[in-house]
Amino acid sequence: MVTIDLAQIPVRDANEQIRNYGEAGEDVEVINPDARHHIGVGLTSPISVHVKGSAGYFCAGLTDQATFYIDNNVGWGLGDNIYSGTVVVGGNAGAIPAIGIRGAEIIIKGNMGSRAGQVMKAGTLLCAGNANFMAGYMLYGGRIIILGDSGERVGEDMTGGEIFVGGKVQDLGSDAKLTDMTEAEHDSVREFLDRYEIPFKGNFQKIVNAGQKLRYGSPERQMRSIPFFTFSGASPYWNPKVQEDIHIKSQSGRYRIRGYGTARALPHLSDLAFAKDLSRINDSADVISKVHMYTEIGGLNGANPLKLSMPVMVSPMSYGALSRSTKHAIGLASAMSDIAENTGEGGMSDAQRSAAKQLIFQCLGGRLGWNIHDMKRADGLEIYISQGAKPGLGGQLMAKKVTKELADIRGIPAGIDLRSPSRHPDILGADDLVIKVEEFREATGYRLPVSVKLGAGRVRDDIKIAVKDGFDFIELDGMQGSTGAGSSEVIDFVGIPTLAAIIEAEEALAEIGRRQDTQIVLMGGMRDGVDAIKGLCLGADAIGFGTSVIIAGGCIACMQCHVGQCVTGIATQDPNHEKRYKPEIEAQNIHRFFESVRWQIAAITHALGYDDVRQLNRGDLVALTPEAAAITGLPYRPVGSESQSEVLAS
Amino acid sequence: MCGIAGILFKHDTPELTTGKALINMLDGCQHRGPDSTGFALYEAAHTGQLRLRFFVGEDEETDDSIQRIRQALAEHHATIVEEEVIGNNYRAIVDFTGNLQKFSYAIEHAAKVISIGASLEIVKDVGSADDVDKRYEVNKFQGSHGLGHVRLATESDVKPEASHPFWATGFADIAIVHNGQITNYWKMRRRLERRGFEFTTDNDSELIAVYLADKLSQGITLKAALRTSIDDLDGTFSFLVSTANEIGYAKDRLAAKPMVMYENEDLVAVASEEVSLNRLFPGQALQTKEPLPGTYATWSRSI
Repeated sequence: MVTIDLAQIPVRDANEQIRNYGEAGEDVEVINPDARHHIGVGLTSPISVHVKGSAGYFCAGLTDQATFYIDNNVGWGLGDNIYSGTVVVGGNAGAIPAIGIRGAEIIIKGNMGSRAGQVMKAGTLLCAGNANFMAGYMLYGGRIIILGDSGERVGEDMTGGEIFVGGKVQDLGSDAKLTDMTEAEHDSVREFLDRYEIPFKGNFQKIVNAGQKLRYGSPERQMRSIPFFTFSGASPYWNPKVQEDIHIKSQSGRYRIRGYGTARALPHLSDLAFAKDLSRINDSADVISKVHMYTEIGGLNGANPLKLSMPVMVSPMSYGALSRSTKHAIGLASAMSDIAENTGEGGMSDAQRSAAKQLIFQCLGGRLGWNIHDMKRADGLEIYISQGAKPGLGGQLMAKKVTKELADIRGIPAGIDLRSPSRHPDILGADDLVIKVEEFREATGYRLPVSVKLGAGRVRDDIKIAVKDGFDFIELDGMQGSTGAGSSEVIDFVGIPTLAAIIEAEEALAEIGRRQDTQIVLMGGMRDGVDAIKGLCLGADAIGFGTSVIIAGGCIACMQCHVGQCVTGIATQDPNHEKRYKPEIEAQNIHRFFESVRWQIAAITHALGYDDVRQLNRGDLVALTPEAAAITGLPYRPVGSESQSEVLAS
Repeated sequence: MCGIAGILFKHDTPELTTGKALINMLDGCQHRGPDSTGFALYEAAHTGQLRLRFFVGEDEETDDSIQRIRQALAEHHATIVEEEVIGNNYRAIVDFTGNLQKFSYAIEHAAKVISIGASLEIVKDVGSADDVDKRYEVNKFQGSHGLGHVRLATESDVKPEASHPFWATGFADIAIVHNGQITNYWKMRRRLERRGFEFTTDNDSELIAVYLADKLSQGITLKAALRTSIDDLDGTFSFLVSTANEIGYAKDRLAAKPMVMYENEDLVAVASEEVSLNRLFPGQALQTKEPLPGTYATWSRSI
């Protein structure tokens, strides 16, 4: 047993020492903790850590196999996302104890704060005192035992798992019901109490999901296959898309769910043109060697940056929305083009990890597939706040795609219409987010860049907050971004176009004089190197490609990603469909697409008279439409003179 | 988006001043709000006297601002007893016995008022607790109680006047600090404005101060005003309020914003995080309590 004194060293050093003692198999006691945050975060060794006093936020968070004893109180997020292990708290716990846990036994001798066990997947949370508001909120699995009173709205929107209440059940949450407890469950709870020597004489009431909200009342109907340009509808009135919408709603009686991005014409990067004469673009044969395109992202605060051979990366797309084979192919292609890939929601597969040379691990509010081991083997971390296609809403994965295997990875019941939470349990404001970012850094030894993904909505405010919260870079996603499944109305009518988003972001950073303190990766409807270079001119440090990547890899843009029966084997979890997809071949196709992007970026940069992509600037662009001029403040030059003609992909 | 702190000493405590205690508590949660820091502090009141603080900036217009304030005070029959310029503040103690609300509004039209009170002084500026203490000597404030706040600006500007605490304009000695977001801000603001209340910023937290002022002006007790605030204010909030002799809190029903409190025979302390409370008692494990959602309370010094 070694002693670490937090009156003497900062938590960051203490956690480094705890992890080292963990590897050496040495137990640790922590004195003078004084309710400091992040104690023991990221520990993945089977040692015991005894905190002699109170701990702050995220104590024992993002750990596996360890045992924690905390003599007194703990703050928010006790045992955040813990995989296995034991945590015993002598006093009270703040809000969201056992948030998203995938196993482990967590015992709180006192009372616990609101939303205990939110998005918990497995394991046991026991509270010997009273629970607070919404215990078991969005519970997916595992059990919560409350010896005292339940608090209001217990079991709100729980999907799976059980809640046993020894005291008063004050008020049941939405889609929760009381049911009888089996003898076996009774014995199991008693055994648990005995094991932790917690005396309790009373009886329990059992709360489970009532099954009213697990699935949409009516299934999502498949559409006729109509091509995107028809689907998008040239006229605003009774075009094929509008008719399709009405037909589908006339059957389902609710809003539509569909895949893909907006079908509306919105101001975009194609409404801009280059200000200079690019007619000499073909004069040089080997532009790629003449232009410096290597870009590092995420290293501003000392983390190991992503090292991109050009200012391009793959946008987050989940294993779940996409098939395993597709994620594999994208990983391979990203390595061939030497750029970064992103896991999207729903976890990291071994195949994807080994295929991608650089991989960002996306972390969402539902904690679906999060775990400390995958975080540690990632090259960057991303806290998802929202996405451009449906800012403010969570993802949807229809039952057809929630297979047994996928459900296991995500830690949820199979066969539900999964509506991912739209917000993180532990991020209810910029102040909470500061502490969350720090937790990620503590858990990974400050080695990995931590980014935030923002769907463009309240861009000006959000960007400022992201910088103040200390993120290493920002992934800014405009309204033209796509989704695997979302409400059709939201996809078409909610959000801020990519073009407006980057302008607002740059203005916001200029207002607070902090442009040099962050990097922006712009995404949302990027189709080629020409779009990319315009984004770079407007200030982005790198560009994310999503939909174009899957199109390069065989997607036929039928917009039925949500259905789960994708004929190309991309947006499906059905083995019969997936077997059509050939990852090695599609990886080559995606790679070649990225190389075309590389050539376009090099050729245009060179033709603009530069030898480095970092020299690109606003002065290189003009606006072709009044809307684009109004949004960007660029000179309005509607008539395409020869010198302003846009360079098209070759 | 912020960190809040409040303290009330039940007896005189020579070893720890209110100012020092709040600086310590805020330093403990400065991560929640790096943009600005503020304090509501109380000193002994003298009958017929008011303490006034104004923002006057630190540029060529400062002297003009002070001249305007002096003129406005004279016009409203307030006689300056003591005055000083400290940081970007002009601070004055005046003899005044008229209607405070009318006086406050009139003065506010002439200058940027921070606070007016018989015993309250609000000190707030951009920077950390330490920065603000260095500029304004917050540690010297004795008093029996006070509030503190660290701010991370989200929707309004990083300016001294947009930082907390907010004074309940027109009502001596009442201040609030807030963590959260009031989502029915504009609706409530317009309702109060129609009834003659004035707002000096676009910060949603100012609404809480004006809301409480409205209730108190109708003769409603602070406790009752806190109770109705839980229903009337929509959004997320943990807020603290202080008056000449008490502190209180209210917390929303969603329990979305943290708050922890500690009480012993010498003091009551409330803060966003236990780490702030522990700054007062290093090395000790405290028996703290988390107020339940939708609750409120007040404490006063029993004399």
